[in-house]
Amino acid sequence: MTRSQIRVTLLGGFALAAALIASRPVAAQDAKQPYPNMAPIEQYLMDRDAEIALARSAAPDSISRDAEVLVLGRHGFETAVKGKNGFVCIVERSWTSAPDPDFWNPKVRTPICYNAPAAHSILLRNIKRTGLILAERTKAQVDEAIVAAGDKKELPSPESGAMCFMTSKQGYGGDSVEHWPSHLMFYYTQIDPAIWGAGLPGSPILAMSDTQELVTTFVIAVQRWSDGTDAR
Amino acid sequence: MTRNQMHSIFLSAFVFLAALIATRPAAAQDPKQPYPTMAPVEQYLMERDAEIALARSAAPDAISRDASVIVLTRHGYETAVQGKNGWVCWVGRGWMAMFDHPEFWNPKVRAADCLNPPAARSLLPYAYKRTELLLAGQSKPEVIAAIRSAIEKKELPALKPGSVCYMMSKGSYLTDNGGHNAPHLMFYETAKDDAAWGANLTNSPVLSVNYWYLSAEAYPQLKSFPPLSVFLVAVDKWSDGTPAPPM
Repeated sequence: MTRSQIRVTLLGGFALAAALIASRPVAAQDAKQPYPNMAPIEQYLMDRDAEIALARSAAPDSISRDAEVLVLGRHGFETAVKGKNGFVCIVERSWTSAPDPDFWNPKVRTPICYNAPAAHSILLRNIKRTGLILAERTKAQVDEAIVAAGDKKELPSPESGAMCFMTSKQGYGGDSVEHWPSHLMFYYTQIDPAIWGAGLPGSPILAMSDTQELVTTFVIAVQRWSDGTDAR
Repeated sequence: MTRNQMHSIFLSAFVFLAALIATRPAAAQDPKQPYPTMAPVEQYLMERDAEIALARSAAPDAISRDASVIVLTRHGYETAVQGKNGWVCWVGRGWMAMFDHPEFWNPKVRAADCLNPPAARSLLPYAYKRTELLLAGQSKPEVIAAIRSAIEKKELPALKPGSVCYMMSKGSYLTDNGGHNAPHLMFYETAKDDAAWGANLTNSPVLSVNYWYLSAEAYPQLKSFPPLSVFLVAVDKWSDGTPAPPM
């Protein structure tokens, strides 16, 4: 399963649409590719202040106001605001956060705030992936490079307690699912999702194991957006 | 249900919350101790089948139907149903709250809980020991000392990574406060402060509490216990799939 397929599955889980996923062609099989190639880089960039604000909206202000903020430049993510609480907020783009059909969708904007253990591990993967994408590597080359970096320990495994907030009311998840539900994600070096009861009928926990990167991600929907309003 | 009510429930259901503590007298300082001593043991006991059913209701049927179930007797917990998926469901009583919790001896508390395999292996031995000693009539300081000794002798295990529990029963009674109940998940971590998960901050969906105490001043011996934090995330459905009140 590709990284983007994982996202599709999680989205489907949130929407209780497993059946839809099962019947929905994944990108590789889809004749209609709305975004077959990378768009001009300008389409992925944002006004700096707007990007900082959007990144911070991923978590409650009580967390994100003291977080480091990264913004996307022409060659990758760069620090826009130094933080002091260990959290790092970022607006991820399609290639790290959208389902396959939206892989190159320039409208995708996914705000995430990683806690310190996740910033030291998971975020590094997405930063590296973004750098490779902007260096015009193919998807296959990027996947290969990420796995190789993991094997060489250049990219660390998830640290204990790694998690992130995705509770922004804003952003754009892609054309298939425009907005993600408010949720938290927890990262582990590959473990059996059943250990948390994830994905079982009635369980509030979803999970997906990335067998290439050896990361298991648990996802839990929460009841409020980062601004405290009801997300149900 | 307001967020403060939610906090109050968590506070009373095995846990606490810093923001609430700040506005509410801590147990050790509270002149009103509604439950100063243990009630007659009968008040803590349940009919066996009802207890099994309540215990199982802590998690969706897909999890709890294959779980082991333990029930309370006059001398401690005992296995009522042998499971096959590694999970253990049970009904916690008030004394599984922090040692200085004002509802420690509340005989109405019925906290249905399903522990995943790592949590069952690492946390249940503490629950067994605490319960047996209290039911044998030992005082809280004696129980604390016994647990400490057992930890030092490695008779009690260290926390296993990935320890999680479900508390999603519609039938639980967690506290005298608020709506008495709210569905949530709990995650156990060692040596984590609240800030690690952004817990207890304004609008954060994560709450955290110390497993052992509300205030270490009440029982200073607890300060030397292995750090054990409990992180809580509320969920929007009961284990039967019906929607829970907004929090």
